[in-house]
Amino acid sequence: MDLFLQQLLNGLIIGSTYAVVALGFALVFTVLRVINFAHPDIFMTGMFAGLLAGVHISDNFLVVVAAGALGAGAVGLALERAVLRPLRGKDILMTLLGTLGVAIMLQNGMAALMSPDPVAYPQALPQIPLLTGTISLSSLQVVNVTISVLILAGVSYYVRMTRYGRATRAIAERPDLASAFGVDVNRVSQISVVLASAMGGVAAVSVGLLYGSAWAFVGLLYGLKAFTCMLVAGNRYFEGVMVVSLALGVVEAMVTGYFSSSLRDAVAFFVLIVILYFRPNGLFGSYTV
Amino acid sequence: MISFAFWEPVIIISLINVVLVTGLYITAMSGQLSMATAAIAGIGGYVSAVLTTNFDWPFIPAVLAAAAASGFVGASLALVTLKMRDFILKLTTLAFGEAVLVICFNIEYIGGANSFTGIPFYTDLKVVLVLVAISLYIAWRFDGSRLGFAARAVRDDPVAAAAMGVSIARARVLTFGLGAGIVGAGGAVQAHYILIMNPGELGFFISLNYIIFLLFGGMYTMWGPVLAAVVLTGLPEVLRFAKEFRLILYGLSIVIVVLWRPEGLVTRTPTGVPRWYSRFWAATPEPAGADNPGRVGESKADSAN
Repeated sequence: MDLFLQQLLNGLIIGSTYAVVALGFALVFTVLRVINFAHPDIFMTGMFAGLLAGVHISDNFLVVVAAGALGAGAVGLALERAVLRPLRGKDILMTLLGTLGVAIMLQNGMAALMSPDPVAYPQALPQIPLLTGTISLSSLQVVNVTISVLILAGVSYYVRMTRYGRATRAIAERPDLASAFGVDVNRVSQISVVLASAMGGVAAVSVGLLYGSAWAFVGLLYGLKAFTCMLVAGNRYFEGVMVVSLALGVVEAMVTGYFSSSLRDAVAFFVLIVILYFRPNGLFGSYTV
Repeated sequence: MISFAFWEPVIIISLINVVLVTGLYITAMSGQLSMATAAIAGIGGYVSAVLTTNFDWPFIPAVLAAAAASGFVGASLALVTLKMRDFILKLTTLAFGEAVLVICFNIEYIGGANSFTGIPFYTDLKVVLVLVAISLYIAWRFDGSRLGFAARAVRDDPVAAAAMGVSIARARVLTFGLGAGIVGAGGAVQAHYILIMNPGELGFFISLNYIIFLLFGGMYTMWGPVLAAVVLTGLPEVLRFAKEFRLILYGLSIVIVVLWRPEGLVTRTPTGVPRWYSRFWAATPEPAGADNPGRVGESKADSAN
């Protein structure tokens, strides 16, 4: 029972990060109809922006988080302007290739700039064990989950309650009609990409704080899983993406806990094939290209 | 610039990549972009490696057996994904590739995580050139065959193709099987050059390279991916003077080509043709009939706008 609770906790913690990255994929896809393969590496850029701010400016928690959001957001802004906008309306596979090129640049650029190996993260928050004994839980894990939950709640509020959020949903539903009704598609696209990037950056900083290190290739660990979550859930309902991401985190943790970590990915992908065989549009429905 | 001894491995690897991307091109022709190229090549590699090492098969039958095994796996994968479309199909092939990787990690007989070693060395430039010639010939003949036209019709509009009497299942299973067979032969030849099979080389991020080749070159012609495979395999070597910045330049060149030619490097539409010539060209429409189904291979992107 202790193992179960511990793995449930670990699964929810990793799943909440999957959820933030998956939500970034979904937000960009619904508005631009583009798979932004650079998203996991924008996440990584946010992690390093937080690290640089923590080392060179101040290791205040808020400064580090703000730097993560700003750094990732700036990369997202540049990406939208330089690559995604010129390619809008072109074959979706070509935008995929373009963002892949950006991803290669970001990964290897950061590896050349900082280090190809993991780098130690500044201690912006102290690591306090909250629960010890059979189940362990530290303050940084709580912070990590809290940040993710706040981001997820914020995105839900944004797309349902705000002016630009409604415009986002209008474009997702009918891209052609939305602009006829006066929605500024360029502006909403830009806001969506920057928002997705910035929230990825914040989540990345909390991951960096939790594990105490930043790595130029960390995007590879989160990108594939988050992308999978988005497709399994379908991108029509962001809440569905969140639930599936948390579930994937828990399933992975359970397989690791009860069987072996080498089977973890196989089980995740097997569940995926089964679900997609029966529900090809994802569990909650998808917008198509 | 540098001696042939430096460039020979680069040439051999890039030619093997040409074979693999030609197989991927045939698979993609019916609209199913396989994200498991590395896994299917790996299956071919393992089959050939086991047959030559443990059963003393000669080289050529082993490669043929590898092609047959990979082709069978590819055709079965096409059967499973028959009803799926777009991203779901790609994701299923991706998941299949990752599953093959995990399975290979856990089979003790083929070395598991310790790699399969002791593979005999057979592949040299001559062997690779022969295989490239064979696979390009197959792709070229396939392009103009009835099945090739049917496959492109299925890719461009499955509903219309089905209404015209094209069997979607047949086109998809056969293209996937044939493409996977070529990929398997390429993987086998690669195994006899690298001499070691590691399950880690079967993953999605290796497969991604072949997808980059395919899209970079343009997936609507046979020569585009071939050109891209040669250029993009050689590029990181040519850029070696740039030290750790070479992969950044690699990524940058991909982005530039995508922005500059959003349909891929080589397209079916003639570009840079003088206006008087294109007007003349447009004035003589091709007779579209049962024997000449018209320009079926025209890129989707042209009509999507």
